[in-house]
Amino acid sequence: MTRKLSPAVLMACRNLLRNRIRSALACFGIVIGVIAIASLGILGFTLQAGFMENMGDVANQIEVTPATGGDGMGFGGATDDTLSEREVRDVRQSAVGASVVPVRQDTVDIEYGDMSTTRTAYSVSEPNVLFEAEDGRLPAQMSSGVLVGNTLADTMDANVGSTMTVDGDSYRVVGVLEEVPWTAPVNPNFGIVVPENELRDEEYSSVVVEERSADSAEATAERIDETLNRRDDVVDVQESSDLIENIQEQQRLLTMFLIAVGSISLFVAGVSILNVMLMSTVERREEIGVLRAVGVRRTSVMKVLLTESVLLGIVGGAVGLVLSVGIGAVINHFMLGDAFLVFQPGNVRYLATAMGFAVGISLVSGAYPAWKAANEKPVEALRG
Amino acid sequence: MSRKVAELEGVVKRYESGEDELTVLSGVDFGVERGEFVTVMGPSGCGKTTMLNILGLLDEPTEGTVRLDGKDATDLTEKERTLARRESIGFVFQDFYLIPTLTAEENVDVPTAFSGGSGGRARELLETVGLGDRVDHYPDELSGGQKQRVALARSLVNSPGVLLADEPTGNLDKETSDSVLDEIRRICDDGVGVVAVTHDEKLTEYSDRDVRLDEGEVRRTGKVTE
Repeated sequence: MTRKLSPAVLMACRNLLRNRIRSALACFGIVIGVIAIASLGILGFTLQAGFMENMGDVANQIEVTPATGGDGMGFGGATDDTLSEREVRDVRQSAVGASVVPVRQDTVDIEYGDMSTTRTAYSVSEPNVLFEAEDGRLPAQMSSGVLVGNTLADTMDANVGSTMTVDGDSYRVVGVLEEVPWTAPVNPNFGIVVPENELRDEEYSSVVVEERSADSAEATAERIDETLNRRDDVVDVQESSDLIENIQEQQRLLTMFLIAVGSISLFVAGVSILNVMLMSTVERREEIGVLRAVGVRRTSVMKVLLTESVLLGIVGGAVGLVLSVGIGAVINHFMLGDAFLVFQPGNVRYLATAMGFAVGISLVSGAYPAWKAANEKPVEALRG
Repeated sequence: MSRKVAELEGVVKRYESGEDELTVLSGVDFGVERGEFVTVMGPSGCGKTTMLNILGLLDEPTEGTVRLDGKDATDLTEKERTLARRESIGFVFQDFYLIPTLTAEENVDVPTAFSGGSGGRARELLETVGLGDRVDHYPDELSGGQKQRVALARSLVNSPGVLLADEPTGNLDKETSDSVLDEIRRICDDGVGVVAVTHDEKLTEYSDRDVRLDEGEVRRTGKVTE
């Protein structure tokens, strides 16, 4: 055997080609398994990426609210549901270098055109820290006019420059806000933002602190908690990143579950390879006996047979991988708007896992038939 | 020092199935020298193939001694037996047993393929047995006689001291048998000891010595035709 291929690979390839349909069907099982694992993994990862794309902006934010009490239901704890000026000052002192935005909120009656509704109005000093404008401008210090939440603007068909009546006073609409992620501490999607001191309620309902990164947000949150809750639980400190991490953890679990479901099909493919290899070794019993008789060692016979089963895994895995990339590209195109995001490291990890699993399971499935065939006494095999 | 290239001494082979015990060989003494062509004949079930398998280290005797090139090979491990077969023994079978997915040359190369290859000897051997123009043919493209000649070439690729043939002409017509037997005779003349187990009286025309086996014992030895 003077070809470039090693004798084990050459013999394995020829044996697989001997019964092409059977080999193709065994490969097909692996293809399905790889697609199941890789596509479900990519789907899960893309869902996470889509979530982070929306939530990433608020990951650095901390929300400080009046403590609700030990049982989390509003019983048995502090009864005060607002934050005092002093508490806001303490938060500022604990969060030096970060943007600190105290928030008031109240329920207001809104009239716009021929529509009237009751909504939540937020009053913040620096709206540009917390929000982005979809239309109009976002003042650094808000002194006049109103900003309309994204959903409310759609509902009312509100435009920048028009006039809106809030609790009987007329305001000019100076901006329409971009949609705020639902995990954000202050969520005016269904409400409006008005200038400071325009609300009847003069107490602060919460303070939002925006740090430069999620890591510094964690440290700042700890400092606020230590400073304000030294004696009693006065405030609750909620990091947006905590909530996001919780959701991400849930998504990761969901992805793992999806992959586990996909893995079942790869196990079935493994059983199919086991079956094919067993049949193949039974059919070639005499051939294997001759190999052993003429002095081919057991390990060499095993090498030939394991190469066969691994080749099934590699070929099936490769075809499955190509198809999975295609499916992943479609998923990414529709969910994130960019098909090439399928090549993100997170997705590549799932593709590699699926391929590794395919080859691994082929190797494991081929091991028993290879061991059985290689260890049969040549004299028994030749007897037929 | 024995000149015998393969030898059996007092070899007994018993098979046990449940409480029954079947004695296939009962104290066989046998040997073949370099360049000697010995046929082993006898009725079906007399233990000819078992004797050949024990001589070729494919099977183990229940009692007795097997020697290869004068060395005791009775208690070799499976790995050592495989190595000894690869280095010292050639096999030819009635059904040729060529690997259908390999060409003639690749088939001849099989015994040495996993230990570095024969370095072109396979092709030379095929030319020697008259198949120089068939090296790239697959077994299903060859006639019965050609297949057996490929098998002969395969048995010689490792330059063995002894060639063991089980019914080498069993599946061949008269004319093809003659050409294969001419080939075996030539191999013998090159110094290889040949043991052929057969029903075919024709082989005795080519052999140096004939052994008759009956009920697991060597009954007669010498030229059958004498």
